Amino acid sequence: MINQRDLRPKDMGRSDDQLIKLDNLMPLLAPFDKPGMEPPLTDPKPAWKEKYCTSLDGYVGIDTLTRPKSKEDEDEFVRKFLSGLEKIFSDANNGVLQPLLLSFEYCAKCNTCSDACHIYTATGDNELYRPIYRSEVLRKILKKYFTTSGKLLGGFVGADIDVNWETIARLGELAYRCNLCRRCAQTCPLGLDNAILTKEIRKIFSQEMGIAPTPLHTKGTMLQIKTGSSTGLSKPAFLDTLEFLEEDTEEKFGIKLKFPVDKKGADILVLHNAGEFMAWPENPVAFAILFDAAGLNWTLSSEIMGYDSVNYGLWYDDTQAKKIAMMQMKVAKDFGVNRVVVAECGHAHKASMISSDRMASDRIPVESCFPLLWDMVKSKRLILDPSKNNFPVTLHDPCNVVRQMGIVEPQRSILKAIAPQFREMTPHGVDNYCCGGGSGFAIMNSANFPEFRTQVASRMKFNQILGAFKGTMENTSLPKYICAPCSNCKGAMRGILEHYDATEKFNLQYGGIVELMVNALVSMKKPFLEFLE
Amino acid sequence: MILSIIAYLSIVLFVGISVYKAYQFANMPFHGRMDLYPVPKEKGYEHGGSYYEEIAWWSKPHEVSHVREIIEMLKEIIFIKKLFENQRPFWWISYALHLGIYLLMAWTILLVIGAMFELNGIIVAANSSSIWGLLLFYVSLVTGYLGLAFGALGSGLLFLRRLFDNTLKKYTTPQEYFNLLLIFAALMTGILTWSRDLSFGFAREVTGNLVTFTPFAADGLLTLHVILVGIMLIYIPISKMSHYVGKYFTFHKVLWDNNPNLKGSDIEQQVIKASSFRPTTSWSAPHIKPPAAPEK
Ligand code: SF4
Ligand code: SF4
Repeated sequence: MINQRDLRPKDMGRSDDQLIKLDNLMPLLAPFDKPGMEPPLTDPKPAWKEKYCTSLDGYVGIDTLTRPKSKEDEDEFVRKFLSGLEKIFSDANNGVLQPLLLSFEYCAKCNTCSDACHIYTATGDNELYRPIYRSEVLRKILKKYFTTSGKLLGGFVGADIDVNWETIARLGELAYRCNLCRRCAQTCPLGLDNAILTKEIRKIFSQEMGIAPTPLHTKGTMLQIKTGSSTGLSKPAFLDTLEFLEEDTEEKFGIKLKFPVDKKGADILVLHNAGEFMAWPENPVAFAILFDAAGLNWTLSSEIMGYDSVNYGLWYDDTQAKKIAMMQMKVAKDFGVNRVVVAECGHAHKASMISSDRMASDRIPVESCFPLLWDMVKSKRLILDPSKNNFPVTLHDPCNVVRQMGIVEPQRSILKAIAPQFREMTPHGVDNYCCGGGSGFAIMNSANFPEFRTQVASRMKFNQILGAFKGTMENTSLPKYICAPCSNCKGAMRGILEHYDATEKFNLQYGGIVELMVNALVSMKKPFLEFLE
Repeated sequence: MILSIIAYLSIVLFVGISVYKAYQFANMPFHGRMDLYPVPKEKGYEHGGSYYEEIAWWSKPHEVSHVREIIEMLKEIIFIKKLFENQRPFWWISYALHLGIYLLMAWTILLVIGAMFELNGIIVAANSSSIWGLLLFYVSLVTGYLGLAFGALGSGLLFLRRLFDNTLKKYTTPQEYFNLLLIFAALMTGILTWSRDLSFGFAREVTGNLVTFTPFAADGLLTLHVILVGIMLIYIPISKMSHYVGKYFTFHKVLWDNNPNLKGSDIEQQVIKASSFRPTTSWSAPHIKPPAAPEK
């Protein structure tokens, strides 16, 4: 093990059992600053060490990256990586070639980007998580094998890394220690983006070597392409769920709800993250209540690929991303709606409006739910009573929606109108920090990865939340609501709150934005938010 | 003569290679969107917003301000704004180097103009009777002194900082030290050469000779200076110090490029063109079928 202060990019090839050990995490804010409020970090189990690559920092992000049985397997692994590395600079990768080359070539190593990274900061500035650490390892490998200067001049141009199974496997793991939140890219004086390089590493692993975390690949994109949803929810099960929710809503709130499904002539097709139906069904219910109250002509689709907006391909595999985006667009087109509205899911926002925007021509227009919801509030089509939401509320900005799409104001305008005790996090808007669940972390639950997510990746967010609710935390009769209008962000919030037992101890609650809106509806006889009962 | 050839050649190569690099980047394949907010041309720039904040955004005109985009670009070029905002201590020395380079570029142009003046009988000196001659004299003095001082100071300090900063040290390759040393050496030989010529009268004479291919007696130091500057000018665009080219593309063609693929747009044409492209390389993972193979 190396003291992280001495760690250099070329150490990735060392034979150590574990390169570094996390020990000096950024302190949490009150009331979590007292000893014993946080469970200590754990060591990987011996069985994991034997099976997976725990030699980076002890965590296992990629559960399909298993140790080789023979020397041949090892060599083959390295060979495949190198062949993938060559391909990211070939015409197989045209769609990112220019941005990739720019970020690859021009880093001035000025180190301006480090402090922007929540993971780097949360680990007490641990060298391993510095945004350019990973990029530099990739550069060194490429230089060593594929550039004339590297072959001739070696160490002089930085081609001084040992490349073996450990080097590559660690690099693969390290690509899953970055949330792809692109906050670092905002600060780079040269406009470079380390997240592009991170994603390229993930792509080499998936697209060339067939290695990706099971929750993203086998139980993610593959399952979605096969069944229509990464939750595995089939059409009949989906319809059953809706029926159940209708009955449940009537029973609880006396509202006769009917989800429009495959409605001919609908103006809007609403796309939810199907995970909402399983984990947070109140969210699609709230959408339905609001859209009906505002008199929109909308529908859900029960077509395969039509009832799940997710596209995990975005995080690790361009070919999967494209397949899914094209299938989803086809559903909307076949349906003949005028527009698609993406509900509260950040990466689905980006997938359907940004990433897939240049995949094909003649697209059905896609829009975000936030401007639409704000418009309902602004135009007073909803009769709302903000005093029903009279408790502290803060807003988490999903990176995909805010930093990567520029949808910043509508959601805060809503909160300012319906939540009298709304307060911002610091920083917020486009400068926000990732929730720690970004780029797949929220659903990656193998081995000890959830510990890395909650205690490291989400650490900055947790502090932001504690900061926003400062002075109200100890008052346990007062609920404090983290509005996280994104399925993955909610997953991360759930992780944090459970891990720190914060709901139980401090009445810290979380949910989306539509739930708050419905809660404020004058027509609601009783609170929509369960914790208010 | 040889020095004239070096001077011309290095400038031609500097410009030529830089333009060629730009041309190469400009001709790279059409890529997917990677916009990152705030985007200066957007109406909602102040809060980092975009046209997606509007309902039915596609049916409304996309309001953009190219003036704001240019202003933001100039702030970056002239002041290196992002570094100033995000890493002030580093900005001081990096900016000294960049400002030094800008001033020296101006100084070089002024020397050429000065040499032209002199060849046409207009004296460029403190006692010149021509107002232009006077102006040129003093402006050349200021840009030259400051340019050399800032440039040498900046490159020297950047070198030292890289050498002694524990973090930067780990990421700096020998080549990157070499880059800074080359600039420093080119500037130091300049300082040594011109410190014997505080009015830059000789510098103008040399410039005149270089420009007109007139042979002249150059001592060892001057020869070394011209050769080092020549090497530097040729080396900069082939090295990653050509980031002045890259930076245009990272901002304009990547982070600030958010033009949507609407019916009838340029983007749509490019999308159509790009989607007919058949790559010659394909990925090997089992879940990926070769691009040409039909879906089962
Ligand atoms: S993209 Fe986000 S998580 Fe990744 S290195 Fe940059 S700031 Fe850190
Ligand atoms: S800020 Fe940009 S140039 Fe500086 S180290 Fe980070 S990526 Fe490299």
